[in-house]
Amino acid sequence: MISVQNVQKSFGNRRVLDGVSFVAEPKQTTYIFGTSGGGKSTLLKIMIGALKPDKGEVRFGDTDITKLSGHELDPFRKKIGMLFQHGALINSLTVGENIALPIREHTNLDDNIIKIMVKMKLELVGLRDFEGLYPGQLSGGMRKRVALARALALDPEVVFFDEPTSGLDPVVASVITKLIADMNRLLGITCIVVTHAVQEAMRIADKIIFLYMGKVLAQGTPDEIRGSTDPVVQQFITGNPDGPISFRASSRDYREDLLTG
Amino acid sequence: MRNFFGHVGRMFIVFLQDLSSMYFLLGETLTQTAVVLVDRNKRKQARLLEHVDEIGTHSLLLVLTVAALLGIALTILVSFELKEIDALSYIPGFVAVAVFREIGPLITGMIVAGRVGAAFTARIGTMKVSEEILALETMAISPVRFLVVQRFIGLLLALPALTMLANFTSVLGGFLFGSSRLGIRPDTYVRETLDVLLFKDMYSGLAKAAVFSVVIVMVGCYRGLTVEGGAEDVGRSTMVSVVSSMLAIIVLDTIMTAAFYG
Repeated sequence: MISVQNVQKSFGNRRVLDGVSFVAEPKQTTYIFGTSGGGKSTLLKIMIGALKPDKGEVRFGDTDITKLSGHELDPFRKKIGMLFQHGALINSLTVGENIALPIREHTNLDDNIIKIMVKMKLELVGLRDFEGLYPGQLSGGMRKRVALARALALDPEVVFFDEPTSGLDPVVASVITKLIADMNRLLGITCIVVTHAVQEAMRIADKIIFLYMGKVLAQGTPDEIRGSTDPVVQQFITGNPDGPISFRASSRDYREDLLTG
Repeated sequence: MRNFFGHVGRMFIVFLQDLSSMYFLLGETLTQTAVVLVDRNKRKQARLLEHVDEIGTHSLLLVLTVAALLGIALTILVSFELKEIDALSYIPGFVAVAVFREIGPLITGMIVAGRVGAAFTARIGTMKVSEEILALETMAISPVRFLVVQRFIGLLLALPALTMLANFTSVLGGFLFGSSRLGIRPDTYVRETLDVLLFKDMYSGLAKAAVFSVVIVMVGCYRGLTVEGGAEDVGRSTMVSVVSSMLAIIVLDTIMTAAFYG
């Protein structure tokens, strides 16, 4: 179980997370969604231990990972996988070497066994023939699938996804969404997905956390979110341009701004 | 004026912060180097000699060309004065000592700082921007072991070797010019050179090269690892990396020359 308790984080004067609390149950798929700049990626970075919150805790089982630093985080990190928004594959290594990297690092397995494991992980994402290519030779969607294979290399308990389907065509996006659902259903992996793709979240999530202006505005099953009477939640899931969510991010008065230059 | 002192003060504080961070990076690099050397599995993964080749062979032609030309230029400069007092026989010794003690290590360090240090910062900085470094950390793989150790070992082997080759090429340049244009007999030139050159001249130059290689790796990798934001910062950090490692090399060169010969 991953429990996030009262997490706060500011950058300069801007408070990005303002007391975020929720629980992600094991072997379930939890989607965190919200508007752009709503603090989703910051929350994810705090949950994987890459960023320290100003206040609050993130419990992974019994351990509060916000209290750990440097190599103390290693045991936690061996249990998780992370799919970065743009894949974050090591560009100087081939697809196969990228996937073998965490296996070589954390096990003493023979090269032949590692080769077989790499093939199995690539088969999982449908890219077995691409082992010898470099990340630069792949399309964006393929890179994400390879990155997913790498995230699964050590059979993690939890996999975090940062915008897994953004910038992909609808078919590839559906393929990735299906992969997430399969991983959760077939392999029993806890999935935590940060996204703004509402339909995808509604389709496969067990639980949805709706983040708005640094706070958890709503949480529950897709049906509960759909039934929410909160106008912000309704505007977000219907994608209506008119409503309480303004596309204007400036706080100063427009007229005043024009006149004072 | 107060603004000026404020600015200088702030720069000094940033400098001290950078220095202490680089000190910790060096500590971590040495620890991880030990891990790599002891652990057979990690050694295989680390591809230790990858950078020796890249740094060594790719810089060789540039370093040797500059060294040969400097050897000739130095000989011309010295001969101009020594001809006046009819003391051309001092040229071989003077050139050899100047090259081995000072010019060879310094110029090789500068060239490698510009060429290799910049490449380290740009490469690691780009990896930082594309979240590759964060990905390594998330996989519990030490970025220092994965990226810095191989560069550290590579440069520690390559720079002293390059320096030695540059020294010999520089002396050879002086020899060719001196024996062909100044009329110094080749056998006299060689004998004079060997008479003056001490073993200490060799190892003081090598010690400098070793220190410079640590500076170039630490500054280059630190600037890369601390890139924030995007491509613009990669460019800026690369510039800062080259300028500060060149400056550090000159300062350390002076200190070491004073320590060895002062």
